[in-house]
Amino acid sequence: MLQAIDLSKRYEDGVLALDALNIEIKEGEIFCLLGANGAGKTTTINLFLDFIQPSNGQVLINGIDASKKPLEAKKHVSYVSENVMLYGNFTARQNIDYFARLGGKTNLTKEDYYMHMREVGLQEIAFEKKLKTFSKGMRQKVGLTIAMIKDAPNILLDEPTSGLDPKAASELMQILQQLKEQGKSILMCTHDIFRAKSIADKVGIMKEGRLVMVRNRKEFLDDDLEKIYMDYMQEMVSAG
Amino acid sequence: MIWHIAKKDFLLNLISARFIVGTVLCLLIIPFTILINLDDYGTRLDEYHIKTVEAKNQLEQTRVYSGLRPVIIRPPNPLSLFSNGIDGNVGTRVKVDFGNIPALPEGKASQRDNPFLNSFMSIDFIGIISILISLLALIFSYDVFTREREDGTMKLSLSKGISRPAFMSGKILGIILTLMPILLLCYLLSIIIILVSGHTSFAPDQWVNLVFLFVFSILYMLVFILAGAFISSMVKQSSTSIIISLLCWIWFVFLTPALAKNFAESLITIEKQDNINYSLIEINREFWDNLHNEVSPRIEKELGMYDRDRSYWHASGGQDGFFETSGTARDVMEYERRMKAETEPIRIDDADKKWIIVKNRLDDLYRQKRLQKNLLMLSPTGMFEMIASSLCQNDEKALDEFMEDVREYRETLIRHFETNEWFSDLRYITAQPEDEIASTNEEKNRIAATGQVPDSWSNQNNPVLDLEGVPMFSHASTRLLPVLLHQSLLFIILLLVICSVLTILIAWSFNKYDVR
Ligand SMILES: Nc1ncnc2c1ncn2[C@@H]1O[C@H](COP(=O)(O)OP(=O)(O)OP(=O)(O)O)[C@@H](O)[C@H]1O
Ligand SMILES: [Mg+2]
Repeated sequence: MLQAIDLSKRYEDGVLALDALNIEIKEGEIFCLLGANGAGKTTTINLFLDFIQPSNGQVLINGIDASKKPLEAKKHVSYVSENVMLYGNFTARQNIDYFARLGGKTNLTKEDYYMHMREVGLQEIAFEKKLKTFSKGMRQKVGLTIAMIKDAPNILLDEPTSGLDPKAASELMQILQQLKEQGKSILMCTHDIFRAKSIADKVGIMKEGRLVMVRNRKEFLDDDLEKIYMDYMQEMVSAG
Repeated sequence: MIWHIAKKDFLLNLISARFIVGTVLCLLIIPFTILINLDDYGTRLDEYHIKTVEAKNQLEQTRVYSGLRPVIIRPPNPLSLFSNGIDGNVGTRVKVDFGNIPALPEGKASQRDNPFLNSFMSIDFIGIISILISLLALIFSYDVFTREREDGTMKLSLSKGISRPAFMSGKILGIILTLMPILLLCYLLSIIIILVSGHTSFAPDQWVNLVFLFVFSILYMLVFILAGAFISSMVKQSSTSIIISLLCWIWFVFLTPALAKNFAESLITIEKQDNINYSLIEINREFWDNLHNEVSPRIEKELGMYDRDRSYWHASGGQDGFFETSGTARDVMEYERRMKAETEPIRIDDADKKWIIVKNRLDDLYRQKRLQKNLLMLSPTGMFEMIASSLCQNDEKALDEFMEDVREYRETLIRHFETNEWFSDLRYITAQPEDEIASTNEEKNRIAATGQVPDSWSNQNNPVLDLEGVPMFSHASTRLLPVLLHQSLLFIILLLVICSVLTILIAWSFNKYDVR
């Protein structure tokens, strides 16, 4: 379970990136966070990971305050960054092995890693190839493997589909669907309304650090999500 | 956890260009340095052997006590293959002279520069290590944090729930693991080259010193690793970090030691050797004046040989009190014997007077050295080189210890002369058997007129001294490891303090490091 309670973040330069954000993502729920560039999506994720400290409010991972007990909290969360960056001189398997161990999984074998890489659809020949030869999508898959191997109950994804080809993107969606079925709480920040619609249980639209709209699946399938989104953006433009 | 990170970095470093370049650089420079030093050491060793044999022969051919002035040659130290220390600045030969208390060995020492001040431009193993290892340490550590941040891997790592202190420790351990083989390689390579060359071998205690030298090299390396890591934790970009690191490197490795030397030289002025020499000459002049104007006329009068020519058959002598004669009449010999008996003690007293002047200057040299050492506390490189030259036993203390022993030996020898009353012994000036000495000048002339002069009238035909019982010089360093370590204790502690402070600073600074 992922929770943001009255979460605010003001950066050192005075920018209020998050303004009293409230989110709750239950087990087996995918929450898609939409919003224009600079809306505060990445800031939210960074707060969950204790990369930055909240100015106000709380971030809870399985009820544990991520800014007070970050190590404890991070045990229960996996993270796939916007642009998965790994050690270029290590092979995919070596990278996965390293991060698996960092995440406390020390008893996995090569076969386990291979299995997970097959699961995310990475080509077999890439398993023992150096990461620096990988395309962005391939890296993204390795990143996903790393997240999956940790097997944490919560997953944070920052624009995971950016740069993926349609096939890879839809494969990713399938995997997320599976993970959701396993009971994971998933927070996905994205610009991809199409994907969000296809998979989200809830969609939130962020604007200038505020969650201006939340709709559950039934609601946004009835409405035209794209139109709602555009309307909200429009407001911003006219307001700005 | 820490271990996984360290292992990961170690493996990544092994295939990195900087590791390969660093290793190759060491493989090229270290053997080259050691070979140069081996060559130099060989020359010094040969010189030592030649000079020692020369000194021994000379001593064994001495016929009279006034010629018994041993020459002592300081042997080269095998450990100087690692650190030249100040050995290159000073000579190796000391003459045990009764008229002077020796301050420094004669030879190379230029009279203008302080031989105790290390120049830091010497190409020796430690000099190269201190430059190479500090550079390598910085080159591996300047981007420990910035690189992971720039590559984006730090976010993923830290999202795994690993604590920052653990992450930091793992990263630093990774660098240590990477550099240790290089450092070890440098040591092994040079030891192998030295042993294979067959020029020398090390005594067990020297092996122990070498091990400690290695340990302190690690400490030295650690200082720079931590310094680089600290810089890395303070900035966001690797490019900023490398510039700051290199500037620090130049400052601590080159500028500070050079400045320490310059400051020491300009803050403490040393009396010019010329002025010292002038004072010494003055004392000598008084000695000779007294000898000619007071002692000689008095003894002549007492012997009733005033205004009579003293004629010598075969005589040779020197400024240092040496005088040997043969074939000369007994009464002239008696005159010479009494002259020596009276003036040699004066000469020894004068030596003490001169020593006060000489020692003043020597003390100043040591003061300069101490100031330099204190200033070198500002640079890890300076401290490391001080520790190294202390461990390799060729710092100013080692020299001082040797000279102390020489001076003590001189005292012992003088006491031996005194207790055996050699100063007033006829053997002090002649080795001619007493029954073959002509009793008067007339008798001498008469024998000479026959053309049948005995062999013993010539100095070189007379018997050499029996050296049995004469104290001989020996010097063994009393400075075993505990003493050596104690002498460098301040530096060692300081290096450890620097390491701890840097570690704390890194922990503090990395704790608020923006990983994004
Ligand atoms: N380190 C920082 N210092 C100051 N302001 C920042 C910092 N990082 C982000 N911001 C500001 O905070 C706001 C939110 O940024 P954030 O990165 O969370 O946006 P985002 O929703 O992830 O945008 P995008 O879709 O472009 O990824 C922006 O106005 C941004 O300028
Ligand atoms: Mg973003």
